[in-house]
Formats: sequence, C-alpha cells, structure tokens
Amino acid sequence: MNKTSRFSNFLNTVNGPFSIGRSAVFWVAFLIVTGYLYFFPRFASRYDVINLTYFMSWTFVAMGLSLIWGCGNILSFGQMAFVGIGGYVYGIIAINTLDAVGNTIPALLGGIIIPFLVAALLGYFVFYGRVSGVYVSIMTLVFTLVLETFMGQTAGDKWRVGKALLGGYNGMTNIPSINFGSTGLKGASLYYFVLTLMVVTYLLLRYLVNSKYGVGLVATGSNPDRTEVLGYNIRLIQLLAFAIAGGLAGLSGVLYVAWGHYITPSTMGLTNASLPVIWVAVGGRKSMLAAIISTIVLQYFTQYLAVTGSEFALIILGALLLIVVLYMPAGVIPTLANCIGKLGSKRRQEALSNSQSRRGVGA
Amino acid sequence: MQLFGEIFGAIYLYLDSMAFLFLSAVGLIIILGMMGITNLAHGEFMMLGAYTAVLATRAGLPFPISVVFASLMVGLFGMVLERLIIRRFYGNLLQSLVATWGISLIISQGMLVLMGPSLQTIRMPLGGITVAGKAYAAYRLLLAVIAIGLLIVMWYVFHRTKFGMRARGAMQNAEIAEAMGINTSRMYQFTFGIGSALAGFAGALYAPTTVLAPLYGASFLAPAFVTVVVSGGANVIQGALITSVLLGIIEGTSSRLYGTFIGRMALLAAAMVILRVLPTGISGYLETRGERAR
Amino acid sequence: MKKRVSLIVITVVLLMAMSVGVLAKDTIKIGLLESRSGTFALHAGPKYLAAQLAVKEINDAGGVLGRKLELIAPDPQSDNRRFQELARRLILRDEVDVLFGGFSSAAREAIRPIIDEYEMLYFYNNQYEGGVADKYTFCTGPVPEQQIEPVIQYCIEKFGPRMYILAADYNFGQLSAKWTHVFAEKHGGEVIGEEFIPLEVTQFASSIERIQEANPDFLVMYITGDPHASFYPQALAAGLNIPFATSINVAQGYEHKRFDAPALAGMHIGVHYVEELPTPANQDFVKRFREMFPDVPYIGEQTQNTYVGIYLYAKAVELAGTTDIPKVIEALESGISFDAPEGRVYLDPKTHHLVRDIRIVVVDENHELHFPKTYEQVWPDWLSREKGVDLTKKPEFVQYEP
Repeated sequence: MNKTSRFSNFLNTVNGPFSIGRSAVFWVAFLIVTGYLYFFPRFASRYDVINLTYFMSWTFVAMGLSLIWGCGNILSFGQMAFVGIGGYVYGIIAINTLDAVGNTIPALLGGIIIPFLVAALLGYFVFYGRVSGVYVSIMTLVFTLVLETFMGQTAGDKWRVGKALLGGYNGMTNIPSINFGSTGLKGASLYYFVLTLMVVTYLLLRYLVNSKYGVGLVATGSNPDRTEVLGYNIRLIQLLAFAIAGGLAGLSGVLYVAWGHYITPSTMGLTNASLPVIWVAVGGRKSMLAAIISTIVLQYFTQYLAVTGSEFALIILGALLLIVVLYMPAGVIPTLANCIGKLGSKRRQEALSNSQSRRGVGA
Repeated sequence: MQLFGEIFGAIYLYLDSMAFLFLSAVGLIIILGMMGITNLAHGEFMMLGAYTAVLATRAGLPFPISVVFASLMVGLFGMVLERLIIRRFYGNLLQSLVATWGISLIISQGMLVLMGPSLQTIRMPLGGITVAGKAYAAYRLLLAVIAIGLLIVMWYVFHRTKFGMRARGAMQNAEIAEAMGINTSRMYQFTFGIGSALAGFAGALYAPTTVLAPLYGASFLAPAFVTVVVSGGANVIQGALITSVLLGIIEGTSSRLYGTFIGRMALLAAAMVILRVLPTGISGYLETRGERAR
Repeated sequence: MKKRVSLIVITVVLLMAMSVGVLAKDTIKIGLLESRSGTFALHAGPKYLAAQLAVKEINDAGGVLGRKLELIAPDPQSDNRRFQELARRLILRDEVDVLFGGFSSAAREAIRPIIDEYEMLYFYNNQYEGGVADKYTFCTGPVPEQQIEPVIQYCIEKFGPRMYILAADYNFGQLSAKWTHVFAEKHGGEVIGEEFIPLEVTQFASSIERIQEANPDFLVMYITGDPHASFYPQALAAGLNIPFATSINVAQGYEHKRFDAPALAGMHIGVHYVEELPTPANQDFVKRFREMFPDVPYIGEQTQNTYVGIYLYAKAVELAGTTDIPKVIEALESGISFDAPEGRVYLDPKTHHLVRDIRIVVVDENHELHFPKTYEQVWPDWLSREKGVDLTKKPEFVQYEP
C-alpha cells in the first residue's frame, strides 16, 4: 500500500459510520472553526486565550469518557481520578527532572502512561471480574473517593518523592510549565499546543471508533453477550477502551497542572468527579465533537455564573441537567444537529416539490 | 468486669457502624436495589428529613413525632418527584444518574439559599449510659435497635404482605404484573415514596448527632452506595443485612485498631474486593448458590 | 493596530463609566474571592460582607488618594479550580490592584502560584497553619505560634500536663499537631495520644472510646469543617467530660451558636478575635456591621481579618501615594499598624504577618464566652527566628513547615 492510499484509507475510516457529522458541510465547518481557533490569539485578549486554553485542557477527559460511555456503554465516574493521577505524576516527574533533563517530556509522557496503566489495572479488576452496568460506575466512583481520601492525608515531609512534596489536602504547588527544552509553554504557545493536541486527538479517536476495533467496542456496548458469541474478546476490548480513556484523562490532568502549576486532591472529589459525566451527557455522549463543544461551552457558562456571583448558579446548572436528560436524552448537540438537518432536508424537499410542481405546470 | 467492659465496648462500636451503614442505605436499598434508579439525590432526601425533623422539633413537636412527620413529608416529596420526573427513567440507570444529580444540586443549593449555611442542631436525646466505667451514648444504641427493627419490618412488608409481593412483582416484571391486574404505575410511585420516606427517616434520626448544613447528606452518600451495591440487587433486604454486618465488622475492627482513616480506607477497599469476587453482589451470590443447591 | 484597539477600549470604558457617573480609572479595584456557595459558604460568606463594610466606610470617608474603592467579587463556589480561574480573570481581565480572599489553605495555595506569576499583591485573611513566606502575600490571620502556645501553656497550668490530640487529617491538623508537640515539651506537658480524622468523617464513636481509654487531663482539638463538628454532640452524649483546648473552633465556625448548650462547655480557645470581645472598639464595629448586614449569623475572626486587611491596604496605598504594587509593598513593609476591632495590630515587615493581642476564650455551660487572660502583642516570629526569613531583604515564594 503506498502512502497516499494509506492516507485516504485513514480519512475514510475517520469518516466512518460511527461518527456524527460526515457531510461535506460538516467538514467545511470543521475547517473554518479550527482555522478560527488558530487565529484566535491574534486578536483575542491575553486573558481570553489563557481561559480558553484551560477549557480546552478538559476536553481530553471528555473525549475519553465519550469513547467508553458513548461507544462502549461503560459509564465511569472515575475519570477525575485519572486526571488526578496524571496531574500528580506530571508534577512529581517534572519537579524532579526538569533541572537535570532540561525539558518536561518525560513528565508529559509519564502523566499519560501511568494513568493509562492504572486504568488498565482497574479495568482488569472490573471487566475480567465481569462487573457490569451501574456497578462499574459505583466502583469507579469509590476508586476516586479512595484516592481523594488517601491524597488528602499526604501532608508533611514524609510524603516526599524526591524534591516533590505531595502536600496533602493543600495540594502540590510550584509545578513547572510544559517545557520542550527552551522555555516553558505559556500564554499563546500553550494555547497552540493544547489546540493542536485537541484536534489531533479528535481525529485519531474518530479513526479508532470507526476502525475494526471500534466496531467491536460499539457492538460490545450495545450487546455484550452477542458480541462475545461472535468471537470478540469483549473483556479485552472494554479494558483497552477504559485504559485509553484513562490516558486521555491523564493528559487533561497534565495540561491542567501545567496551566495552573498546582493540583489538590479535591480535583478528585465528589463534585468534580461528576463534571465529565455532566459535560458528556449534556453535549451528547455518542459524539466526540459534541463532548468537546459542550465541555468548553458549559465551562464558559458555569464560569459566567460564578462571575455574576449568583447564589443560584448551582441551581441553574442542576435545572439545565434535568432539562437535558428529560427532553434531549441524546444530548443537546446531536438534537440540535438533527433539527437543523431535518430543517435542511425539509427545505430540500420543498425545493424539490416546488421544482417538480413547476415542471408539472410546464408539462 | 474489665473484660465485660471491653466486650461491651466492642459490641457498641460494631453495632454503631453497622447501624450507620444500614440506615444510610435504607432508602437507597429500595430505590436503587429494587427499582433500579441510581438516586444521587439520596443524600439530599436525608438532608430534607433532617431539616424537617429539626424544624418541627424547634416548633414544639416532640422529637420522635418530628421524625415520623419528617419521613412522611419526604415520602410525599418523593412521590411528587416520581410523578414529575423520575418515572421517565425507569430501566435507564445511566440517565437516572444524571437526572438525580441535577435534582441533588437543586435541592442542596436551594436549601442554602432558603435556610442559610447552617441550622442549629437539637440536643442528642437520652444522654449517656455508663458501662464498666466508660460512658456511651444511649441514643446511638437506640439507633442500632431501630435499625434492627426497621430491617424486620421491611422484610415483613416486602415478603409477607400482599402489597409487598405486588410491589416486588411489579419491579421484577412490570408486564406480567400489569397483566395480573396490578396498577404498576401506582405501585412504582408508592414504592419510590416509601424509599424516600425511609431516607428521610434515617436523615431525621441522625440529625441530632451532627451539624445541619445543606451538604449534610453528602457524608452518607458513599457509605450508602457502597452498602447497596455490595449487597446487590437480587434480594435487597437480606443482602443489605449481610452487607452492613460484614462491612460494619471490617470498618469497626480496622478503625478500632488503626484509627478512623484506615477504617474508612478498609471499608472502601473491602467493597471493591467484594465486587471483584462477587460481581452481582452478595445477595446475587447467595441467590445463585441457592439455585445451585436446589 | 494595538493603538486602535486600546482607543476603542478606552472609549467603551469611558462611556460605561460616564453612564455610572464616575470615571472608571479613578477607582481602586479590589478583587475578592470568597465563596458564597458550596462547602465553605458558612465560613467565607461573612468575609464578603466585611469587605463591603470596609469599602463603604473608606469610601464614605472620602476614599483613598481621592479615589473610591471598588469591590469586584465573583463567587468561587468553594472550588479550588474555580479559585484559579477567577484569580486569573481578576488579574488579567479586571486588572485589579489587589487581590483578597481564600478560606481554606488549599484555596490559598491554588491562588499563590498565579499571584507570583503576575506579581500581584495578595491578602490572605484566615488563621492558618503558618509558614507562608511570600513577597507578594500578606497574611492577616494568626499563626500557630500565636494561638497554640498560649492556649497549651494556659491549659497545662490549669488542668495538668497530659494531653490527647484529635486533629483533622490534612495539612492544618497535622501541622498544628506537630506544633502542639513542640509547645507541650516547652511548657512541661506530655502528649499521651493523638489521632487524625479524615475530613468527611461524621461518626466519632471509636475516637471517643479511645479518648476515654487514655483519660487525658485535657483534649487538644484541631478538627475542622461541618462533618467534624459532629464530634461535640456525640462526645456530650457519651459523657466525655474533659476540657478542650483549640485554636480553631468557635472563633471561626461559631459552634457555640450552632449547637445546643452545653456541647462545647469547657472549651478553651487561643485566639485574637471573637464577636463577643468586650472592648468598646469591637462593640462599635459589631454595631456598624450588624446595622449594614442585620442577617449576618456571626462575625468570626476571618471576617474581622478581612476588614482589617482592607484597611491595611488602604493605609499602605495612602502612604505610598500610588497603587503601584512594588511601592505599596514597600509601604506595607514600612512597619504600619492599625487600630482594629480586635485592638492594635502591627504588620511585621519581615514575615508579612500581624503582631496582635491573643486572648484565652473559655466557653461555659450556657455557651457564654469568658476572657480570663490576654497575652499582649504576640509576635508571629517563627519564620524570622527559625527559618531566617526576612522578606524585606530576601524575597521568597514558599511555605515552610516545622
């Protein structure tokens, strides 16, 4: 197979049947928005760039959850635990090795690989133990709470890894920025880095979902028993998806601590643990893009509520959740897309019937 | 005498942690265990029960009557909620999770707006009793007794009365139950109401032991879910009994020996290990074993 | 290009400002991050009110340098991540001149890296575990050497040397317990047992049993937060009849108002401020506060500190003649003092903490407070004495631990 055909093969798979948004219009819009995002720092204020960087950092955990929940039908409440692991691992490695190595590449990789492995281990426990359905959600939630409780008591000098103090409930501070050798990524450079990662991850995940493996995952999600009978190793399929989601969550954690130079165990608390679930559920769990958009939009929205200082902020958020699951169970973005699609096809139909009737008159 | 004191102290501790696990879980046993609704607002139901009971006591009702009143009110609230929202999510665990999370945000933050960040508690009734030179809270012993009584009543209601049989029938197979002339819709509403009332009841019972704040329910949530999930869905009442005894012993022993932190970790770790070994929970395991024996 | 953008911005700002009738560039912007929802609403909510009171009083008296103070106070919702987001927002977008806030130490540590990154001036207004030596941070709350030593000394003298420590299992509790060991040894006491409780635990049966087993002369309590406050009714019901020493309760979470008496009877607190402090200055402050905010549940130490912090900032700006941050820091480090509701406070230039009077406060059977002893002008000097910190000479950005 030569290079071009392999590439077109890749594109075909990216545009496969399990992703929402396959039309030419979709891809044009996608290119326009991506282009806009690349030009954003040229005209936006420094604050808006930094803020958007922060929001985009969280899209990875959402994409991972969309992979396991939307495709594999595994609802994990534990993604924030992997965010926490990623953040802490990045912090520990970066603090210890930045001076010696001169960059944070080992820390960056460690912050993705370690959560991947931990997720694989937990996934082994869960999927090979044939735990399923809501039990998985509760087990992952319990895992998160255990980790939070544990990290909360790591204050003091005895919880020191090399030069890095874990810092207990108060958290680990002075975590360096991402650094590829010269200076740390900050402001616009961090923005471009996160944006590029986001676009690449999105395309790769679309490829994954529509590949042979993805077919197996979706099949396992909708009917595990039948899929198993068909000869798929469903345990391995679920385990792998869970591990990938863990690695993606770890990446979110890395980007978050590199942005804020700080992480606390409360990142893994009950309220935070529910956030990815909310983002993905509101956006529409079956679409990666919906997960990305809703992660960013919802964070803008909740931040706006916080800024206004309204004590009704959390009430409004709760009501929004309720409305979404009551009236748009597929999520806001697929529902909207569907409406627009219908509107479009209706117009097309009208146009069609108009032209037909005109032709009829002519004839 | 020394030995008797030791033994009494140990029993008191075990009973206390078992009662806590069971009472935290009691409403959820029905709502999650029987009906399959993952009620993340469980803690908020308990908080509503606690607030109602304390406000009623402050208004002049005797505490025991306030507790009953509180559970009735929360039960009623649950039935309304069921009619308006919950019934759309039967058989859909994941959606109900998100919906009830929304409800929990609204209730707890709404309470903060309504009643402020804290409510003055009422004094723990009954005072202390002294056994072998050490004082114990009599009220906590009473809680253990209530937990046992409640367990018996629930078992009786759901296994021996006509209503209980019908309710369980409706939960297990709605179509057949409907064909047999049971109004399943009413049944569901009623059962949800009972689950809510029990959550309110437990919340009210624990009100004098802790501080009342809008996030009062949060501390019950993890133990409640652990208990119900470890117990499994097949035979919830029996499962909850065994689970709270088992986890109570694990938590009680480890916190007695190594302190509260280890106790909490041991509880959560035990839950994960049990689920790994018995993926359908303890009652599911008993059920399949029972079937095999037959 | 840049010029045109800023021209547009200026025009817009001017238009907005004129519509309010004040010139925007004339206000001094104070960013405040205090949670009005979530876990810490109870403790941090009144701090927001205190800031409003201080700003109003200063503005009514003509402002600072002829400019009015303006408070910008989004709600961080007791969420550390939100603190980070909003701190950046206040600094970059609202361009505040100074930042106040944070209840928990975790929130402070979340903000501090951002403060240091943008070289912003920051006031933290809570009592805490101590040790922050940061050129840009000023702490108006008391620290362990001010609170723990007096109360431990007092309790050893009064009840005997054997103490048992019950502490929350996080930084504040663990560090305070460490400090207690140090001061116990210094004053001839002995720690006969200690236990750390995870923050979300509400049930204390096994701890109470262990305490009864040990039977200490007094109990040292560093338990915090709503779940932990459940200890008191449970201890009372179990008939635990031992005096308590603490640095944290009552003055912050007004447990003596929230629990039925006599749950807290016999509690001894080493603290600089409680609402009931019977001095004319404080009674006047409480009156003004309650006139403006009749619904405030309690004016705790952190609330008063916030008020003091804003006055100290105003005083420093007046002294510096500008809001330029290095100059204001210089003014703050010039040895300024202020007649606060709690009494005279002096800002120690070396450590950026306050020298102040510390009272022993005792809770009685009816939850009335008594003030048997005052330790005058106690210094927050552990940093300068043990760690050689002198922020006027050597800027640092760390938190030391004992």
